[in-house]
Amino acid sequence: MKYLRRLFLRISSLFTNEEIEAELDREIAAHLALLEEEFQSKGMSPREARVAARRAYGGVEQAKQLHRNERSYPVLAQALQDIRYTLRQLRKSPGFTLTAILMLGLGIGATTAIFSIVEGVLLRPLPFPDSGRLVTVGDVLEGSNCAFCRPTVTSQDIRNYMRDTHSFTHLGGYQTNSYELSGSDQPLPVHGSRMSGEVFSALQVTPLLGRVFTQQEDDQHQPFVVLSYSLWQSRFHGDAKVLGSKILLDRKPYIVIGVMPRDFEFPLIPGHVNQSELWVPMSPEPWEFQAGAAASWNLRMVGRLKPGVTPEQAQSDAQRVAVETMRNYPAYMSSLRIHAVVKQLQEDAVAQARPLVRTLFFAVIVVLLIACANQAGLLLVRSIRRRREIAVRLALGARTAALLRQAVIESMILSLGGGIVGLALAGIALHVGLNLLPQTLPRIREIGLDWPVAGFALGLVLLTGLFCGLAPAFVAIQTSVNETLKEGGRTGSSGSGHTRLRSILVVGEIAVALMLLTASGLLLRSFEKMRSVDMGFQPDHTLAASYTLPLRQYTTQALINTFNQRLLDNLRQLPGAKSVGITSVLPAGGDDLGISIIPEGYVSPKGAGLHMAALTMVGGDSFQALGIRLLRGRLFTEADRTDSPLVVIVNHKLAEHYWPGQDPIGKRLRRGMPETATPWLTVVGEVGDVKLGSADGRTAEQFYLPATQGVASEGVLASAGELMAYDGWIVLRASVPPEQMEDAMRAVVQKIDPQLAFYKMKTLDERVSDSEAPRRFNTVLISSFAIAAVLLGMLGIYSVIAFTVATREQEMAIRMALGCERSQILQLVLASGAKLAVVGCVLGLLGAVAASTLLRSFLFGVSPFDPAVFGISVAAMLLLSLMASLLPARRASLTDPMLAVRGE
Amino acid sequence: MPSKEKEPIQLLQGTLDLIVLRTLSTMGPQHAYQIATRLQQISDSLLNLNQGTLYPALVRLEQYGWIKGTWGRTENNREARFYAVTKAGEKALGKETERWRKMAGLVERLLLEES
Repeated sequence: MKYLRRLFLRISSLFTNEEIEAELDREIAAHLALLEEEFQSKGMSPREARVAARRAYGGVEQAKQLHRNERSYPVLAQALQDIRYTLRQLRKSPGFTLTAILMLGLGIGATTAIFSIVEGVLLRPLPFPDSGRLVTVGDVLEGSNCAFCRPTVTSQDIRNYMRDTHSFTHLGGYQTNSYELSGSDQPLPVHGSRMSGEVFSALQVTPLLGRVFTQQEDDQHQPFVVLSYSLWQSRFHGDAKVLGSKILLDRKPYIVIGVMPRDFEFPLIPGHVNQSELWVPMSPEPWEFQAGAAASWNLRMVGRLKPGVTPEQAQSDAQRVAVETMRNYPAYMSSLRIHAVVKQLQEDAVAQARPLVRTLFFAVIVVLLIACANQAGLLLVRSIRRRREIAVRLALGARTAALLRQAVIESMILSLGGGIVGLALAGIALHVGLNLLPQTLPRIREIGLDWPVAGFALGLVLLTGLFCGLAPAFVAIQTSVNETLKEGGRTGSSGSGHTRLRSILVVGEIAVALMLLTASGLLLRSFEKMRSVDMGFQPDHTLAASYTLPLRQYTTQALINTFNQRLLDNLRQLPGAKSVGITSVLPAGGDDLGISIIPEGYVSPKGAGLHMAALTMVGGDSFQALGIRLLRGRLFTEADRTDSPLVVIVNHKLAEHYWPGQDPIGKRLRRGMPETATPWLTVVGEVGDVKLGSADGRTAEQFYLPATQGVASEGVLASAGELMAYDGWIVLRASVPPEQMEDAMRAVVQKIDPQLAFYKMKTLDERVSDSEAPRRFNTVLISSFAIAAVLLGMLGIYSVIAFTVATREQEMAIRMALGCERSQILQLVLASGAKLAVVGCVLGLLGAVAASTLLRSFLFGVSPFDPAVFGISVAAMLLLSLMASLLPARRASLTDPMLAVRGE
Repeated sequence: MPSKEKEPIQLLQGTLDLIVLRTLSTMGPQHAYQIATRLQQISDSLLNLNQGTLYPALVRLEQYGWIKGTWGRTENNREARFYAVTKAGEKALGKETERWRKMAGLVERLLLEES
């Protein structure tokens, strides 16, 4: 207790120092007066008494110092004094202070903002208890050449893995889905997930309200639904009475049993548009285990490892189950081979985002380094200007340690100011910029300024403060008292060591700025290349929207076909509509692995594995509506009915792969594996390649089937009573701006089925732009970093040249007095700037070459050593550097020769 | 200067606090000079310390909250800062005295056995 009290008083006395000192002076004076009086009363003269009193008291200064040490913390008190001194100094030069703080603020702010992305997306553990034990379980299909996709499972796999593995405390399957949510209000399209009851147990998240469903309820096909916080808020106004109420999903009644907390997010998918808003039991239907569905890897699994079980052990456990699963495969898929894969959920969620986030972080650190180098340069100039003051202080007995401390404190204070500005800037940037983040980043909701990020910013402050403080500290150490004081009035050339240090800093800045500039140039070229890629369809004047017919109401194929036909007919009649079609896959909407096919007469080279191709079912005039070019043969017509000969249209890439150099028309292919009994489909047309994902993505081998023949083409893969064409994209090409058609389109569907809503209605131009977003994002960001780096580099070169010119004013005046031309002075100064720039550019080019491996994966259609980009970057950097030194050069050339005579 | 026969003794850490506290407790409020004089008297000049060295002890005790200084006037109407023991100080004095006795007794016993 007494120590606590003392601690508080000792610290608080740091700030009431002057009062305490005054009090102490008064007390000592009183004490001495009493002693003097005593001695005088013993018969001493006043003078003798004063001396005797002093002697009896001891050293007054020593006593004061002892008092100070005792009442406070001497080291802290000293630091506080230094801080006050520094603040006074900084107030005297507001221009310098402001520049330094803003520059560091920008650097720290940008770095902090990017770090908050790194932290939220990559570093922070998933928001589940003991999330390191959560893993995904899935299959990799042998021969599918699918390096980019995440392992998936079939319904049968989920059943088998859940029943037969022993490595998991909980394990369950899930699948994302879209639903038509209706009941109390307007129908609303929402994203949701089907999940095994076990998934909730594995994730161990307690609901905010009510409860979650159990595995038993899942097995019993209980119609329960758990809502997300945001859906609960937006649709049900955060009303707790929602529990127990009934809602309709795809027109089937479900009972709301729980609401998840605000930050619950599962599955962890990139972006924030397609997040699940509700969760229903998986409750698989019998058909999901039969026919084609048994060979559909379109579900995923998540589980929690038992204590002490490693992912590797779990994987071999799962592989054992997978072997058993393969043994029981039906005949039509007996050649398929799967490998079980178990990996950390965190890894699964963030793996794809890692290169992008890392590169951004690298780039922003580079910008921060440049800002630091500039800051160090500024402080160096400042110390050189104060060299005389430093020398005087050294001569008067100041210790180097004290000078060093002061230099570091000054730098720290500036960094701290920069840190505060930076945090504010980062806060603003995140507030404004979160919506601009590409939809390829997972866990976007977790990005924000929080304690770890603030801690990181503080770390940056300390690091930059220390790093930048080294420069002036260097001056302090190097200052030779004699030399500096002897230099006297002449502020002649400052120590060559300092000049060299400043030059090195600037050369480094230019080198790094050039690296970023080339990176940005390469990315810009890639972007331009991507824009010029032929997507294989014409996105202009086209509107697309998806729809799903609720199978509860559309129970037969006839009902579905009638709906589709009415929809097409009604849309065609709209004024302004040119062509209308229905397609199961929308270009630029997302790429996937596709399905396995058997091309007739094609003998695969050994070990080529499965033949995967992307399947699109089409109806109406979808080729015309999308603007896909017909290369050979014909498109589908009304005559391609369910009972007519089965036909297929292939894209150019598929035709070239399996029938190179031949006319594909009349060739045949079929779905499935060699052992699968499926009917042959005759190729009637060849169309151009279409980019299913983004323009810089891969080009898939594709084939198209008429929706009417979908079931027939499946052969043994078709399940009993399988329905087709109940969902898809409606595509409408208009002669007017497509946005004008939106309301008319909605009205048409409302007329046919008042409850049905279109999802995701967008023009194809918007979709293409969305698919470009990730590349646009990193291009814009890296480019803005590059611009910042170049500006800082120019500032650096300007300040070096300007300072050199200022210190060499006399020299210039003497040169001119001796007959040197003004233009020669100009050249002289420009040359010194150019020298720095050239050295910087050479180093920067080397750096750019070294960094090319990092950048390669982000480039598209451009070599990481693209000569045009390198050439232009170097030229720009040199030109800008010359421009930066032009201003001080001009000033030098205008020096008044009279200065040489007058001196200071 | 200490005389030759009277070798001055070094104060143990913390003893000065106890002595000052005890002095103030028995003598009532005192100023620094009075405390110093009193110390010299009772120690029979064994403790010949500069009067200024008293100040750290005073500030420490004040920060503990054991004594409190107030400005007042001496008999000769001179101003001085008088220190008085607080309630907490009296309590602490009791404890510290007991601790000191225990400690001294222990050392004494030890020294007896050793010899």
